[in-house]
Amino acid sequence: MKTRDQEYRELFMAEALEYYDSMSRHLSELENNPNAGPALNELFRLMHNLKANARAMGFTDLGEVAHHLETLFGLIRDKERTFSGVLIRVVFAGVDALGNMIRAVGANQPMPEVSGLLDNLDRLVRGEAPLLEEIEAPETEEESNRKMELSDLVYIQVKKLDNLLNLVGELVIDRDRIMTLAQEIDNPALLATAQHLFRISDDLQYSVMDARLVGVGVLLNKFPRVVRDVASAEDKQVELTMSGQDVQIDRNILQIITDALLHLVRNAVSHGLETTEQRLQAGKPAVGQLTLSALTERDDVLIQVRDDGRGINTEAVRRKAIERGLTTAKAAAALPEQAIWSFLFEPGFSMADKVTDISGRGVGLDVVKLALDSLGGQLRVESQLGKGTTFTLVLPTSIAVKGALLVEVDERPYAVPLLHTDTVLALHPGQISVVGGVLVTHFHEEAVPLVPLRQLLYEEGDEPLPFATKTDMNGPQHVLVVNYNNRRLGLLVDRFMRQQNIVIKPLSKPLDTIDLFGGVTLLGSGQVCLVLDVPALTRLFLNKRP
Amino acid sequence: MNKRILIVDDSFYMRTMLKNMLTDAGYEVVGEAANGAQALEMATSTAPDLITLDVILPDNTGLDVLKSLRQIQPSAKVVMCSAVGQEVIVNEAIENGALAYIVKPFSEEKVLEIVGAALQNDATEQTA
Amino acid sequence: MAEIELASPTPKAERIKPAELVQLIVFRLGDEDYGIRIEQVKEVTVTPEVARMPKTPPFIKGIANLRGDIIAIIDLEERFRLRPAGRPLPERSYTVAVEAADYTLGLMVRDVPRPFTLPLSQIEPAPEFVQDSSTRDKYLEGIAKLPEGGIIIVLDMRKVLTPSEVMRLPGKGASS
Repeated sequence: MKTRDQEYRELFMAEALEYYDSMSRHLSELENNPNAGPALNELFRLMHNLKANARAMGFTDLGEVAHHLETLFGLIRDKERTFSGVLIRVVFAGVDALGNMIRAVGANQPMPEVSGLLDNLDRLVRGEAPLLEEIEAPETEEESNRKMELSDLVYIQVKKLDNLLNLVGELVIDRDRIMTLAQEIDNPALLATAQHLFRISDDLQYSVMDARLVGVGVLLNKFPRVVRDVASAEDKQVELTMSGQDVQIDRNILQIITDALLHLVRNAVSHGLETTEQRLQAGKPAVGQLTLSALTERDDVLIQVRDDGRGINTEAVRRKAIERGLTTAKAAAALPEQAIWSFLFEPGFSMADKVTDISGRGVGLDVVKLALDSLGGQLRVESQLGKGTTFTLVLPTSIAVKGALLVEVDERPYAVPLLHTDTVLALHPGQISVVGGVLVTHFHEEAVPLVPLRQLLYEEGDEPLPFATKTDMNGPQHVLVVNYNNRRLGLLVDRFMRQQNIVIKPLSKPLDTIDLFGGVTLLGSGQVCLVLDVPALTRLFLNKRP
Repeated sequence: MNKRILIVDDSFYMRTMLKNMLTDAGYEVVGEAANGAQALEMATSTAPDLITLDVILPDNTGLDVLKSLRQIQPSAKVVMCSAVGQEVIVNEAIENGALAYIVKPFSEEKVLEIVGAALQNDATEQTA
Repeated sequence: MAEIELASPTPKAERIKPAELVQLIVFRLGDEDYGIRIEQVKEVTVTPEVARMPKTPPFIKGIANLRGDIIAIIDLEERFRLRPAGRPLPERSYTVAVEAADYTLGLMVRDVPRPFTLPLSQIEPAPEFVQDSSTRDKYLEGIAKLPEGGIIIVLDMRKVLTPSEVMRLPGKGASS
């Protein structure tokens, strides 16, 4: 398991080695030109950083040597000492010692003895002559045996990894096109090459995804503090147990679910778990149990938030849903538990009877649902009244290639992720009726509203859509039925293009505020294609239907 | 709303540690700059509530950055980060509008106390 | 050696520089010349295919693929209302890709933009009277008067490109 201390240690080592290399470089520069101001400034800064980092890690001796050298370089910079004569030898010995100490940290070995060196540095700072035998002693054999060392650890901006993943995604799309072409042309040599390309790009894609994986612990380790804070604010006793910190997941996925997980955990402590008094009355142990665990299931990563609290009061949710007009009393009576619980994730739906400081922030569990939607993940709820609740986030391991259906409107392609598509239909105007200003068709004995995609995309303003008519409908109508949260909606499009694997690139600023699009993808031709966000489209339709 | 903080330090290690401390405490770290130019750019684009500023930076001294920051983002509170022995620069920084300073190596309690107090200062100024 | 002079350790001395030169990328909007500092320009290219983006103000022409980056393409003639009557943007236009802190944006212009170097001292801070457009004066870094006559209006991209500015919808201020 990679703890935070270990992470700090690795960062410290990587940076210390880098500093050490730069110091050596700047020292040589200074040897050639003792007045090189920039080199002096750099040495001063590097010593300063090394000192501060070493002290934070608790490597006192290392910090001391760096501190003395920093002071000395400060004096040289201020022209109170000159970089010449015996001072040069002491400084070189000092930097060598730093190198040895850093390597000792890396190898988990005891630190070399540096009291003689520190004494000499002190003398130089005070303006006294150093004791020369101290300088000569540690050299000789070690010097010639010293190896060049580079850190095994590279730190890299996530942006660069994102870029790499996107490029690989595009490569995979082109590879698929080449495969198709090769099969059509049916030239054995071309086919063999294409198959080879296929394998290599598969490996490449796998490697890039692998490079982006981090342990779930990176996120989970932030929770003990959150739980402690919320529990103390709510005056509850909570014991947090965590497991599966090693489970690997794409760093960006972890980033996206951070808020969702935070919300679920706060919610579990402030609403899920009872007060000590209530627990004792119910015959439960005084301390509430909260478990945060990660595990892998086939290609997915599951993150679970489990509490042994009061459980979801299904009847209360049912009443609230009716009150809020989300369903009718008649329909609600027939809905199974799971369907009732899914109302908890409707925007603005909150079961909090009192607004607490911690979780009553007007944000409901819908943030959780939104985060999962954006990843193509799922949310599972299990609950038993009086026993507790478990929320399970089902997440993809990687942000990978997704299947999509390409449709055309006004000669422009749009991609709809297959995750949200139900079926495609070609309907004659006779199969479509108008009910309350909305086009409706019957599909599997269910009334499905239809709307021209053009209207949803291009009708400006917040006013309701105009009443629909069938007057300008000629010939078969192309309908893509999409599905979100068991709500079906038929989108009228000009034509269906094809099904294709796409890599979704997020929309960059400043356009990322338009929630109707989950991103863009590049088609094989280099053409830009917007990816529709079905949840947002569905919400837009519900808000604007006449 | 969570207070938004920009971290300016040329050491990746220090930035990571500070960032962990601050995010654990519920602050939002809106950016990490490793030099003066980045600091000014990010201060402009992120408009943070508070900036932690290392006194020694590669392309510019922390003091110069502080002066520019005070001009382009006068509403941002600035807390200097320094090591022992830099009292002179720190004093000059305070004269130039920095609210407080944190001495390296950081202790989590100290960082949170000082950052909290600096942000508090914001509130009192506004209500006064 | 002359370098010894420059090796002065105080950073303050480094700030005094002889006649600092500024390199601009200059292009025409309407009948005026506009310039952007070259550091803010990522590249200049023939405008690629632009996909119309629903739910955006009209001066956002859409999005385009610029070497794998998807960027928004904006039309400053429309934004600043400088479009001469009867002269729509030509079929073949150019795009200046400019860089903000964390994203890139394309400015669509009618002619090939050209580089232009001038001393910084020639750029005067924007005067108060440039107020013929409701929004443009906010974006000015200054105005460069050329010795041979004519002026270049120097834009500061960091001000033009804040997301709230780019997304500001017409009717909510610009066209009231």
